[in-house]
Amino acid sequence: MSAMSFLGVAVELWLVAGALVVLLADITWRPPLRVLGIIAGLSLAGAVTASVAQWRQAVVDGTASLEFSDMIAVDGFSAFGGLLIVVITGLGLAASWDLVEQLRDRAAEFIVLTLLAAAGVHVMAAAANFIVLFIGLEIASISLYILAGYTREREDADEAALKYFLLGAFASAVFIYGVSLIFASTGTTSLYGVSDYLVSVVVLRPAVLFVGAALVIVGLGFKVSAAPFHMWAPDVYQGAPSGIAGYMTAAAKVGGFAALGRVLAVPLSTYITDWAPIIAAIAAASVVLGTVLAIAQTDIKRMLAYSSVAHAGFILTAMVAGGDGLDAMWFYLATYSLQVIGAFAIVATVGGAGEGRSPLTDFTGLGSRSPLLAATLATFMLAMGGIPLTAGFAGKVAVFQAAIDAGYLWLAIVGVLAATAGLFFYLRVIVLMYMQAPAMAEAPGAAISSPQASLPTQGVLAVTGAITIGFGIVPWPLLDIVADALPF
Amino acid sequence: MDFPILTAIVGVPAAAAVLVALVPRRELVLPVAITLSFIPLALAGWLTWEFAVGEAGFQFVEKVLWFEPWGISYHLGVDGISLFLVLLTAFLIPVALVASHTITDRTKVYIAAMLALQSGLFGVFLSLDLLLFFVFFEVVLVPMYFIIGVWGGERRVYAAIKFFLFTAFGSALLLIGILSLAVIASDQTGSPTFDFVELLSLDISRTTQFWLFGAFALAFGIKVPLFPLHTWLPDAHVEAPTAGSVILAGVLLKLGTYGLLRFNLTLFPEATVKFVPVLAVLAVIGIIYGAVVAIVQPDLKRLVAYSSVSHLGFVVLGIFALTRQGLQGGVLQMINHGLTTGALFLLVGMIYERRHTRQIADYGGIAKVMPLFAGFFLFTAFASIGLPGLNGFVGEFLVLIGSYLSLPAAAIVASFGVVLAAIYLLWAYERVFTGPIDKPENEGLRDLTLREWSVLVPIAVLVLWLGIYPRPALDRIEPSVDAILQRIEATTDYEVPDFGELVAIP
Repeated sequence: MSAMSFLGVAVELWLVAGALVVLLADITWRPPLRVLGIIAGLSLAGAVTASVAQWRQAVVDGTASLEFSDMIAVDGFSAFGGLLIVVITGLGLAASWDLVEQLRDRAAEFIVLTLLAAAGVHVMAAAANFIVLFIGLEIASISLYILAGYTREREDADEAALKYFLLGAFASAVFIYGVSLIFASTGTTSLYGVSDYLVSVVVLRPAVLFVGAALVIVGLGFKVSAAPFHMWAPDVYQGAPSGIAGYMTAAAKVGGFAALGRVLAVPLSTYITDWAPIIAAIAAASVVLGTVLAIAQTDIKRMLAYSSVAHAGFILTAMVAGGDGLDAMWFYLATYSLQVIGAFAIVATVGGAGEGRSPLTDFTGLGSRSPLLAATLATFMLAMGGIPLTAGFAGKVAVFQAAIDAGYLWLAIVGVLAATAGLFFYLRVIVLMYMQAPAMAEAPGAAISSPQASLPTQGVLAVTGAITIGFGIVPWPLLDIVADALPF
Repeated sequence: MDFPILTAIVGVPAAAAVLVALVPRRELVLPVAITLSFIPLALAGWLTWEFAVGEAGFQFVEKVLWFEPWGISYHLGVDGISLFLVLLTAFLIPVALVASHTITDRTKVYIAAMLALQSGLFGVFLSLDLLLFFVFFEVVLVPMYFIIGVWGGERRVYAAIKFFLFTAFGSALLLIGILSLAVIASDQTGSPTFDFVELLSLDISRTTQFWLFGAFALAFGIKVPLFPLHTWLPDAHVEAPTAGSVILAGVLLKLGTYGLLRFNLTLFPEATVKFVPVLAVLAVIGIIYGAVVAIVQPDLKRLVAYSSVSHLGFVVLGIFALTRQGLQGGVLQMINHGLTTGALFLLVGMIYERRHTRQIADYGGIAKVMPLFAGFFLFTAFASIGLPGLNGFVGEFLVLIGSYLSLPAAAIVASFGVVLAAIYLLWAYERVFTGPIDKPENEGLRDLTLREWSVLVPIAVLVLWLGIYPRPALDRIEPSVDAILQRIEATTDYEVPDFGELVAIP
């Protein structure tokens, strides 16, 4: 193995190294928080360069490869996944900086966990073996469980973390049991080994394989909060500190979908006619349930949680096309992740970064209190609703196009109808912000608060907002890139 | 390459919206916006001047392939059908802006929304790429939603959401239809395309045409609005501010009829011929129902709103008559309705500003204090009813004779709509303007101001011109309309009836 092959794990090395330095620095000389932030930033910058180097090697030079005895893939898929998760982590950390400052003594571990979660997500995107995939899944999940309960003073945060942990551990068990069944029927845990086996051998009694594949899909479906495995999402997002909820949503989705995408497109690709209907059913259930339940919410975090269920369904809509839907999946995933991080950053600014509950009424009249915040949130709402000239529309076109191309017209129809119904609750946020005056009756004489975003949050909002609009008007550059973000 | 005039028309209002946001002083915002809105009007005027009469195809075409894997291109073009809708949009936005002086809350945002709306409307009429068309079609909703929801009347939020969800629901299926067309193109030619002109050459099976026609017609039918999909319209109209109603009735409703004419008739000719009875019946129900409901409205603005349902029914009937006269009348009637209903909404707005009520019962005899206003109202009402010499007559007459050729029963029933229009408008006129002034509040009403003159006179001039000498308009509409009919004749066994055959009978 040459030194060059360390490129395969370079992203993880940078992230873990950053995490260790933050941890050690915090133990030894307790530097100001800003220094920890800079260290984290440097490690993320290193991870970006590593991802770009992977992209250059795998896509530009066309030499995608498997490294470390076929454990890790260096291909467009993992490189783009790395780029995405690193960008999300940077934005997520910046958006949670208010929270980090509130945490003080426990801030270093918070940063460490965020970086470790990112490393885990990248392992999920790059894994070429079910066992490595499982390790990545656990690293990411456990980090996120802890982050969910980080403001342990609040009981609902504890509840959120515990719920997340118990259900998450259960899902991990389901996943690994599925892997063992796949191993039982194919004799290998390598994704590419399974693929080769299934291409060359006709499995006469595929029941074990099918059950295994179904369990793997269920396990990952839980991680991305697809219906009917979504029950944890609203409680967890509501209880988790607002400052980090956006990152949790985005990271869990990127990791889960990257893993699911590779598993469906590589080892299971020969059985697409068998699993595509299942994915379609999960997708339809997710968009319908997520949308319908979001309408009934009175807390914006719960609403965003249910809407994330619906968005998981939209992404799954593209995946019925197997490998052909991966570009649409990446596009939707990338743009949605940024929207959700931006939206939660605003929730954190309005309701408090460490807080749990965030009733919709907090946003009444925001349009006149904090015009810029309101305008940005309105943009994200329209983007999530799939209105043209936002990246959300381009993403929806991409996934529906993929589904129709794959012969799932009914799924696309269910999708657009749900998207229309979804507009109802996205518009409600806009109505509250712009079309209703703040309720004065509650506290007569009390000054109307006009929340102001902190500097890092402003940066996050500028970036996510600009990308949401930018890729809404000219999505082609990103579409060109994701077209190459394919597995080896 | 020539000056990209169509891009300029679409782009200038958007740029103006940004410019307006930069104007530092509040009192300057409206004058600046009005001045800027004359640029698209001038461009549209120049476009009409340069437009080659007698050509059926698209002119001033701009085409750039944007993203090959999806087959989406930036493709703009104008023909005889869209030309006048572009002109109408360019004309009505300055009018609406002048009528917006009552908006004092967040003026900048309001005006930026108006100008953005204009950009979107131009985009809808000029796009020849279906996905691009859809983007504009859907994006138009957002500024209108804000205009109704923020600056509207009492029940504005309800009206705004209803408006948005109704239309978004329709366009959801439209999007699926458009995507399916691209997939069909991909199956037949090897590469997907959203290009309207290229999609025309596809061979779409009868059942597929049937479903796609349904998806397109539902989206456009909600927009028109066709009975029974019209329930969003009275709410949206009543709650919208005056300028919003003018644009909503004047231009936004035409997106539906334009879509039917541009896409349904050409892309799905076989389904069109099959669907004629359905749409004709719905159009006739709309004509009669809208008119009857308008008669009993106690609220002047609601009355005008319901009259739109009736008038747009004429447009749809003309389109689905599938005759030369019907189609020409339909296109012309779109313009006429934009002018006359726009003017009626302006007039209702003017009287509302003075008395803050729209209830017909609160008025009576005010022709004595506002004779000029009453005169304009009567003039516009006559135009709307279709009095010969005014624009409404030409459009409705063409629609009626056109539909009589192919759908005589529908035409006969529809002609009662004209009578009913006379009833609801003249009866309203009688109750508001004639007789003695029996309410003391009405005695001190001011007659028209200079500002109000400046918006009403240009409309009146156009109403007269189109009524007396519609030839220049018809000359430009005719070839494009004929091309659509020729396409239907070439691809189906339908034959367009004309007077020639009728005369030859004895």
